[in-house]
Amino acid sequence: MSEWAEPRDFKEWTRRVFGLRSILTLLLVSSIFILELRFDWMERILGAYLVTTNSERPESGSIWEKSRQTRTARKTLDQILTDKQTLQREARSAATFTQIAANVTPGEGVMLSADHFRKLYLRLAPSIAHEVISPFELLGIVSGGLWRRTYFEKSGAGMVIYLLDANNRVLQQLELGSMLLSQLKRGEVALAESLDQLPIFENRIYPADRFFNSLESFPEDVRRIVVPQPETLLEVPGQIVRVGISDETQSGFIELGFEFSNGAQRRVVLVQGHEWAVWRLRSNLEGTDMDNAPGRNGDQNEDGTRQ
Amino acid sequence: MSLFALSVRRFSTLFYAGMTLAGLGALLAVGLFFSAVRDLPQVPEPLGRIIETPPTEIFAATGERLMIIGGREFIPLNRISPFFIQAVIATEDHRFWEHHGLDKLRTLKALWITLFEPGKIQGASTITQQLAKNLFFSYRRTYLRKFRELLVALQIENQYSKREILEAYLNQIPFGVGAYGIERAARAFFGKPALELNLAESSLLAGLPKSPTRYNPYRYFERAKKRQQLVLARMSAVGYATVAEAEAAYQAPLQLIPHPAGTPKGSYFLDLVLNDLEERYGPEVVYHGGLKVSTTLDPEQQAWAIESLQSGLAKLDQLMGIVDEDQTGDAKSLSHPQGALVAVECNSGAVKALVGGRDYSETEFNRAIGNNRLPGSGFKPFLYYAAFEKLSLTPANVFVDRQITIPVVGASDWTPQNFGREHEGPMILKRALMKSVNAIAAQLVERVGPDGLVDVARRSGIKSPLKPVYSLALGTSGVSPLEMAAAFATFAAGGTRHEPFWIRRVEDPLGRVLEEQIVRGQRSLDASIGYQVIDMMRGVLASGTGKVVRRLGFDLPAAGKTGTSDDYRDAWFTGFTPTLSVSVWVGYDRGMRMRDVNKVGITGGRGAAPIWAEFMIKATNGEPAREFTVPSDIHFETVDAVSGEIAGEWTSNRVKVALRSDQVAGAIPEQPAIQAADEPAVEETGKSTITEEDLPPE
Repeated sequence: MSEWAEPRDFKEWTRRVFGLRSILTLLLVSSIFILELRFDWMERILGAYLVTTNSERPESGSIWEKSRQTRTARKTLDQILTDKQTLQREARSAATFTQIAANVTPGEGVMLSADHFRKLYLRLAPSIAHEVISPFELLGIVSGGLWRRTYFEKSGAGMVIYLLDANNRVLQQLELGSMLLSQLKRGEVALAESLDQLPIFENRIYPADRFFNSLESFPEDVRRIVVPQPETLLEVPGQIVRVGISDETQSGFIELGFEFSNGAQRRVVLVQGHEWAVWRLRSNLEGTDMDNAPGRNGDQNEDGTRQ
Repeated sequence: MSLFALSVRRFSTLFYAGMTLAGLGALLAVGLFFSAVRDLPQVPEPLGRIIETPPTEIFAATGERLMIIGGREFIPLNRISPFFIQAVIATEDHRFWEHHGLDKLRTLKALWITLFEPGKIQGASTITQQLAKNLFFSYRRTYLRKFRELLVALQIENQYSKREILEAYLNQIPFGVGAYGIERAARAFFGKPALELNLAESSLLAGLPKSPTRYNPYRYFERAKKRQQLVLARMSAVGYATVAEAEAAYQAPLQLIPHPAGTPKGSYFLDLVLNDLEERYGPEVVYHGGLKVSTTLDPEQQAWAIESLQSGLAKLDQLMGIVDEDQTGDAKSLSHPQGALVAVECNSGAVKALVGGRDYSETEFNRAIGNNRLPGSGFKPFLYYAAFEKLSLTPANVFVDRQITIPVVGASDWTPQNFGREHEGPMILKRALMKSVNAIAAQLVERVGPDGLVDVARRSGIKSPLKPVYSLALGTSGVSPLEMAAAFATFAAGGTRHEPFWIRRVEDPLGRVLEEQIVRGQRSLDASIGYQVIDMMRGVLASGTGKVVRRLGFDLPAAGKTGTSDDYRDAWFTGFTPTLSVSVWVGYDRGMRMRDVNKVGITGGRGAAPIWAEFMIKATNGEPAREFTVPSDIHFETVDAVSGEIAGEWTSNRVKVALRSDQVAGAIPEQPAIQAADEPAVEETGKSTITEEDLPPE
């Protein structure tokens, strides 16, 4: 490269300034600027390049942070709801109060409709049902027309049931202590099992034909108070094979267990009879004096029924 | 060398030096570019993803939306008023449709001003750059951030159409009052959809994003109008409006809706709700989960509560001779007495109104739930209940108002003083509560024992730590207005305690129920004994320390109790009708004494009861007069207020008392002797100097 030398005259100055190299350089530089100003080619090139690298870049920045927080929040909510719905589903499929009690956890109760509660309640043996809530009291609540839903909540070893109106106000609060829950459990087992599994009927189980023969020997009014609502038994599918008489008296009533056989299925339905009439029937069945009847055990057949 | 040649040579040197520098600059820019690109944020696809966060909404009991947190209401460009679009483009980036993410001329101009005009900084961010900043970057101003912002803007321009960019921008810009995006802003400020905004409204809104707080038209209307004028001038300059149209729009009246929808009206209440939700679900779920929260707040009652408290405190300022020195914020909250009001539904515990201070915008400390204020005599109803329950006393039993000193183990004797330090001699208990006689309260707590009092307070619903000392009877343990309202509601509800609650139901964005409040009550007080205390508290309003309530015109059946703590540091009134229990507290945040211009102390009857009365008059307006349910075993007798004997025809000082079926007036049970000095198992921390309130001024 030759060293720069000072032009000697104006002519040389002009030649150098307006020389091809100078003009081309000037044209190149100015066209770059003009084209950039006119067409934004630099921005376009950079933008296009950045689009190609987009997927490799980190999901950082406030919008992504917000998005992450939203995802976390959704996940948390979904988890809470899944747990809740599982609990709720199990409660809805529960056939008994004790199944519900087994599902509810401290701080997490379940909500059922009023109708669902009534169905569960009607499955209880009358004496046990009475312990939960008197049917008359329940009738009062039903007829009040406010009862919409029922909330079950764990309370210590027991359970609290709230009968609620549409605004979740408690119309009635039912306390099911651990004792009552175990009673319920026992009673509810009876609904699905045989009389042999119910200790209250131990040694006082009779073949159905013998029971009804004995019952028929009483006048109609007595029969009516031994089995106050025979219609409920007629509604149960299957045939009565055995009848158990409880040894315990509750408020003047004694529990009678009717074991139904429907094919391979067996089921016990409990009804309550008036104490004095049941004792008369039982003494008739035992062939003993009524006054000596309670607590007396007779001989038992192999199938568990009394001779 | 000639001078001309020297100049040319210098010019040439400069030229090539410039070129070299430009080359180096370009190299530096390339290096910087690749360095910045490495951790440049990824741009979401599609850009509409910015509205994916559902908003958390909080609703009042009436269904009215109280607050909306986060979320965006995304609307397409064709649902936005063209005036607004033009206003934004004219103001923020008038070459938006032409450039490709960078307005070079404007940038050069801004650079020139920033560099050569000292003290001036000119911004030149295009709409795309602003969008990039809002979506990805913090508000920290650094050159590197600006460069990265520019790069993201270039990518956005390359990736999306101008319409998509503008749509995204208009749907996320902040307008203040919690409104993000034009649709929400249009509804918040003008109660109409964005499509229906006229030129005047559009120009006002377009000016807000520059500084939503500074140009908030609710607080600084004049500033907002000036900004609107600027926007209109820009529109006119750019050719979107004629000068006449701009002038007409500036002169046009703006129909701002009274309160911006979606902004907090009862923010102390909303703070309570939000804190509660955060504790249950965590902040992420609350602010990003899109919860739908139904609360117990009654907006009408809340508005009245704010109004009553503010006007009551203003009157108190006058009474105390406090001049408003144009203070704001903390300074004002310290120099002026503060207040709180809580209204609780008696038969459920639902909080219908809650105000935690004079003005939420000045101080956010929630005095309605802070449990550090002494209730003074406001605690006496629990004491009287305990005395009736544990000692089988009746409201007609006679005690002697006399100087009493109770020995305390490990501390000096306790000698409570009556207000005015005078004693009236014998009087029945109902009268003692009505007149709030400390000497008789001291005799009762001495017999009931502090633990007995704590037990009743707990059963009523007081949850704050209570020190089992004798002076507790005179309210020396701090409680909150919320607790007091809820505890008095237990009396009103016939002894059934309801836990106060403010969230009724929480749902996820799809409407699935996360939780709902079960309104359950627990029988904790005897209804008949409770009624006896209610009857006594009715006397407080009829002719006792709270009679100002009746004088101010509240005439529905109600009961209540005033309370004033040591040296007039706290003034209370807690009272209830059969349906609503309300507690009002006033006092200084720093516990200074409250005295009027004549140096007379401000009592519960003077400071808090008038606020209670004003609120209750509004809150129960149009309600029928509901009486408290009288338990079946309660009968009433009129007795002599001094002797407790059945009043005769000539008895002048007659008081009607409520007695249970096994109680008869005049039969004074054997009063056990004062306990021996060394008997109490509790320790008193020191001598109480509790004073009692005087009667309200006539």
